[in-house]
Amino acid sequence: MPMFIEQYYRKAVCIVLSCALIACSATPKLEEGAIAPEVKLPDNHQELGLMSAYADPWEGFNRRMYYFNAKADQYVLLPVVDGYKKITPDFVEVGVNNFFSNLGEISTFINSLLQFKIGVAGETLGRFALNSTVGLAGLLDVATPIGLVEQDEDFGQTLGYWGVGAGPYLVLPLLGPSSLRDVTGLAFDSIAYQQAVDELGMKADEELFLSLLQSIDARASLPFRYYASGSAFEYENLRLLYLKYREILIAR
Amino acid sequence: MRYVISLLLVLITACASNLQPEVVAETPVCDLPYSRYQATVTGYCQEPRANFAASVPVINKSITIKPLAKIPEVFWFHKRMNYSLLKQDAEAPVIFVIAGTGAGYDSAKMINLQKNFYQQGYHVISLSSPTFANFIVNSNNTKYMPGNLAHDAEELYNVMKLVWQQVQDEDQVVASSFAITGYSLGGAHSAFVSLLDEQQQAFNFEKVLLINPPVSLFNSVSILDQYFDLRNNRQASIAMFDQIFERFSDGYSAQASSNFDQDSIFNLFKNAHLTEAELKLLIGASFRMSSSDMIFALDASFNSGAITYKNHEIDKFESLTHSMQRASDITFVNYFEGAMLPRAQQEDANITKDELVHRYSLYAIEDYLKNAEKISLVTNADDIILAPGEVEYLQDVFDERAKIFPRGGHCGNMDRVSFVTHLNATFSQGVK
Repeated sequence: MPMFIEQYYRKAVCIVLSCALIACSATPKLEEGAIAPEVKLPDNHQELGLMSAYADPWEGFNRRMYYFNAKADQYVLLPVVDGYKKITPDFVEVGVNNFFSNLGEISTFINSLLQFKIGVAGETLGRFALNSTVGLAGLLDVATPIGLVEQDEDFGQTLGYWGVGAGPYLVLPLLGPSSLRDVTGLAFDSIAYQQAVDELGMKADEELFLSLLQSIDARASLPFRYYASGSAFEYENLRLLYLKYREILIAR
Repeated sequence: MRYVISLLLVLITACASNLQPEVVAETPVCDLPYSRYQATVTGYCQEPRANFAASVPVINKSITIKPLAKIPEVFWFHKRMNYSLLKQDAEAPVIFVIAGTGAGYDSAKMINLQKNFYQQGYHVISLSSPTFANFIVNSNNTKYMPGNLAHDAEELYNVMKLVWQQVQDEDQVVASSFAITGYSLGGAHSAFVSLLDEQQQAFNFEKVLLINPPVSLFNSVSILDQYFDLRNNRQASIAMFDQIFERFSDGYSAQASSNFDQDSIFNLFKNAHLTEAELKLLIGASFRMSSSDMIFALDASFNSGAITYKNHEIDKFESLTHSMQRASDITFVNYFEGAMLPRAQQEDANITKDELVHRYSLYAIEDYLKNAEKISLVTNADDIILAPGEVEYLQDVFDERAKIFPRGGHCGNMDRVSFVTHLNATFSQGVK
């Protein structure tokens, strides 16, 4: 997780979890004279299958945060990303992306060990060793072409592997879809990441620059655009896809 | 058309968070077993993909059609109608491209068409389907239901005139001539717009191309409805969904890398061994997602109260999950009988269902289609949205102006070499 929002997270997430989640409501406030929809829901909610597969007790908060994120994306993040893409040559963007992916290998390594995935851990260690040295501190990805492929493990998945359920769905400020379990994992992974960054022995303002760059890179490499689907049900669709996707990752 | 699985894959690819390669050097073919359903879901990947430019200078534009204050707050992200322009440097022919059912101006199929026409020297103006939420909530219409092809054409024609004025004013586009095309429902729309243009003559289209259009809207949607039948077959459909996800999940577990590329997506499909019924379910579910979006937009704009509370203004933070769940049950045939027919009967109390079915089909403008030399058609013999006899009908109506590929399902070959070659041959003849 980018460091510049990390401190904010430590405090904000706690506050958010304790009060805001419960305070905001998503149930319709019906006017007098409102008439119930013509099409009825099945009495048994399970009959809805996938579409009711996941409860969303924090929906009121989540929807507000989703709205906030869409606006922040439009007015802040995307303009910054566009500027970044304009001023940096493509090979720099790729290098930056590789650099942060390489730092991310550390948490993949730790988490694959925690799940006893020795093969994955070995491969990841190999990638990290090779890319950090021959790959010029991770700027080049020399491991993939020789068959050491990138893996994706995080502490949320580790918790899932050990049987921790996803918990309620949670939309995080700026970062978007998550769950109670995954945000816990995120906190753990960011500690590991911070350790790695500390090893680089940078000054405070250099670290700030690095975390800014990481945030920009993270957004730049994510092709998602809010409401590009055009659907009023985008929130619902994304919730389903996120939770399903995490299940698939954990099963892996 | 959008697909549940492709959505999932897009998300997975996105989360794998590697920079997407700008240019795909090789266009691999897949070795999936061919079926019309497979081609509809994954594309006709057995044939090589055509070469499109990696990126083109798209100008994303928007226009105010309806006063923004009148657009429901729940559609805060749809305030203004969106469209796009690809502009040539000098005077050139203009082509309008109309999206298919429930698709926006920038859907994947639209982007391929845009690139291709731009490479062919056209100014390209892309419009969303009148069934797409952004179009619906920005339309001044509160009377007619989308799918009423003649009325949709009037709406489109009006938007086209406004958009054309805007690109002349803001982007100094200079036209030498006009053409129009569209795929799926957009193909049928193109035909109706062309007919309207004969009377109003704002554009005097030189070329009109219908790509994989339905012959009868009602027949086509009835077919798609059957693929995803929640009312009569709920348990089985739901169980099937779970199985599909499970097999994709297993396939993903077995794959060496956690990343995704074109090959691994084809591999996932290959290893999932989807049956015909399962492919149909995916197609039907994706269609249902589109129609749910459409019905919600109509409800919010018309206060019709089918899946939302009537006489209730939906707040932008309000849960819409219940509406989505309600919409998932509604087939297009329900929509036709419960919304389109009553609306039409308000206009003309004597109109019957059969007459309406006829009106919303190419049969209604058959004479025009038979004689209009400027109009041509391209489709596939195994297009899933065509009922028995309809391929022959299209062949008969368009005769020498019809090109019918043996394979490709519904729009599955639109980005493939032979289709694109044909497209370019059609548009290079006689367009100045």
